[in-house]
Amino acid sequence: MSNAAPASRPYSGWVPGLLSIVLMLALWSVVALITDRPQTTPAPWTVAARIGALATSGELWFHAGMTLFRVLASFAIAMAVGLALGLWMGRSRLVDSWLNPALVIALNIPALVVIVLAYIWIGLNEAAAITAVALNKIPVVTVMTREGTRALRPDLDDMARAFRMSRWARLRHVVLPQLAPHVAAAARAGISLIWKIVLVVEFLGRSNGVGFKIHLLFSSFDVAGVLAWAFAFVIVMLTIDLGVLRPWERRANRWRHDEA
Amino acid sequence: MRLKLRGKSFGGRAVLGPLSLEVERGDRVAILGPSGIGKSTLLRIVAGLDPAFDGRLTGADRLATVFQEPTLLPWRSARDNIMIPTGCDGPTASALMDRVGLPGREAQYPRQLSLGQQRRLSLARAFAARPDVLLMDEPFASLDAETATRMIDLTRDLLDDSGAGLLLVTHDPQEPARLGARALRLSGTPAILG
Repeated sequence: MSNAAPASRPYSGWVPGLLSIVLMLALWSVVALITDRPQTTPAPWTVAARIGALATSGELWFHAGMTLFRVLASFAIAMAVGLALGLWMGRSRLVDSWLNPALVIALNIPALVVIVLAYIWIGLNEAAAITAVALNKIPVVTVMTREGTRALRPDLDDMARAFRMSRWARLRHVVLPQLAPHVAAAARAGISLIWKIVLVVEFLGRSNGVGFKIHLLFSSFDVAGVLAWAFAFVIVMLTIDLGVLRPWERRANRWRHDEA
Repeated sequence: MRLKLRGKSFGGRAVLGPLSLEVERGDRVAILGPSGIGKSTLLRIVAGLDPAFDGRLTGADRLATVFQEPTLLPWRSARDNIMIPTGCDGPTASALMDRVGLPGREAQYPRQLSLGQQRRLSLARAFAARPDVLLMDEPFASLDAETATRMIDLTRDLLDDSGAGLLLVTHDPQEPARLGARALRLSGTPAILG
């Protein structure tokens, strides 16, 4: 079998990827030098210095930690609820017909409306912030899980029933492995969407976190500070993606490859 | 295992007519008939996969099914494919894999096995469930003659050793003879046993 190509792909992708980042930094530097307005277009090294200062003062870790906590809490809630709803709707046509209109409406409600209403109805607190973010993400996870559930293999379902496998064993060994690619895609798409919404939530109603800091820096038109916080957190999220989500996805897909 | 069927229809179209079928431990029964006659439908009813029929299915026997295709879990190792659905322990699974000619393949995934090996694994899985009656749905169709012969011999030996009964569905009139099974013919519309 000719399955050598996928294994070598990540390596050949490194070089152009790295070069494109270098190119973007160069372009940014040129623009910063030409415009020569450090107040609105700070140079990359100015932003890098700010990130360094934030990291050494410890401020970065506290606020990034608060934001990360909100991201992970709402991510966990959204994945759990979305997975359960998607499985339920994918398995039962009746449930799907009843819940689908609500799902379509939920998918189209602007994130900002959910956030504002959560703060008004629940209060300006942590629970409201996390609920608002989770509510924004649940419909997307539900839709992706539902599509995966509809594509479940009926022959394996028959096998599981013929051998009287328990509900839990069926979910764990028959259903979830088939849903894994959909769940992984929902998780990857979800975590990047969620951290952007978390920032809005913090901007509007929290007194710590990256979004709160950006709020303060916005009032003083400190562009270098805004960029420093944004890039610092992008690095945190990329580390999670590369260090946690991707290895997990690779592990879950091990059975597809021929390594003996 | 005892089935008293009054009828089975799909969307108003009667597929199976009134028939009764009884298979016990040690019995070997083959149901013959052309494709599309309702053989697989009958087997699905017996296996408990299709509860929407008019009639009664009784008996507390343990059943295990060998499907037309291997129907293995691609994301679990060969040994887990035996242990997870049947709940048997590791040594039993390994012993059965030796028995069907797959020694040392425990850690491999199904796609690393040939189709013939996958079918033998599926046979091992069915026997791991320690069935009183083994249900088989055209398990030797789409195999080349030599592989089919080996599979049939293996199935017969395993049935001899375990004492399990057999309910086989096939279109090939030679298979029942080679397995020592009593042949029943399914024919007519709606189909009945003759």
